Amino acid sequence: VTKLRTRWIALAVGVVLVAFGVVLAVQHRSEPSVPRLVQEHGTAPAFTLDGLDGKAISSAAMKDKTYVVNFFNSWCIPCRQEEPALKAFYAEHKGESDFAMVGIIIDDDAATMRTYTEAQGITWPVGVDPHGAASLSFGTTGQPETYVIAPDGVAVCGNLGTSSQAELDLWLNAARNGQECTSS
Amino acid sequence: MTAADTRSRTRTLLPWLALGLVVIVAVVVLVVRSRPDPSPAARAYRLEHQLACPVCEGQAVFDSNSPQAAAIRDDIPKRIAAGQSDGEIRSAYVALYNEKILETPSNSGLNIVVWALPVLALILGVVGIGLAVRRWSRAPRLTATADDEHIVRKARHLEDEA
Repeated sequence: VTKLRTRWIALAVGVVLVAFGVVLAVQHRSEPSVPRLVQEHGTAPAFTLDGLDGKAISSAAMKDKTYVVNFFNSWCIPCRQEEPALKAFYAEHKGESDFAMVGIIIDDDAATMRTYTEAQGITWPVGVDPHGAASLSFGTTGQPETYVIAPDGVAVCGNLGTSSQAELDLWLNAARNGQECTSS
Repeated sequence: MTAADTRSRTRTLLPWLALGLVVIVAVVVLVVRSRPDPSPAARAYRLEHQLACPVCEGQAVFDSNSPQAAAIRDDIPKRIAAGQSDGEIRSAYVALYNEKILETPSNSGLNIVVWALPVLALILGVVGIGLAVRRWSRAPRLTATADDEHIVRKARHLEDEA
């Protein structure tokens, strides 16, 4: 009787351990590459920032356009790796009336960024976010992070990490046409 | 019941009443002292400890120097000033990031396991101890045999001689 009881106890402990393992395995998922705001098709938060050129940058001014928001800074290596794609993408679309693109500085100072953007030939508007309010409202988890906002204000596409020009083109097209976003 | 019985009964009950009084006073003091300070600074301090830095491993917003944690530290007093409750502020950050931003897991969904396991372990432990005590109390008391008594007598005799 004692042996049988011991077996039952061992079996019960085993079942509990297996169940616990399954719970942990289910909870552990790989890190997402799409921002939470995009995953949930959330409305992009409003922001008003001082631009490096002294002009104000406001989300309200881009209302009814499809616009790209890129969080970056001067010291982040992936941001530098992404830069050629952003430059090519901006050069391709900057003349389109329904398009806008802004960079928002994350964890860097304005003076350094002014020198950096001039040296790198970054021509799209770049805003200073001194207390990280804009980056917090987007729920950023690092840099670079890119969001493509549809004309209705919804963050439809985006990426945590570097984006390619092909991806940016794809997302811009999807946002303009009300389509679902996919990575290339 | 005579007066002597009453006095005796009172004398017996007195220590228990004193003990009860001490327990009640201790509980009241604990409850009063554990009531959180409602000042905005104290609330912000608590929230900074209750929220995890969203881009760090194992650091609270209070401890982290990441830009995200710094932005949250700047944002919390603004939310408090706007009249948001602690719960509303925590929910706002959960909506912005996810449940991992809470240092204390919620008690819904799979997180219930985290809360239930210690309780389950405690119940199993208490039941186990109860069963063990029951078994020990049921075990027959050992009685000394003639041989045992002989051994003890012999040992005492040797002690006396020494």
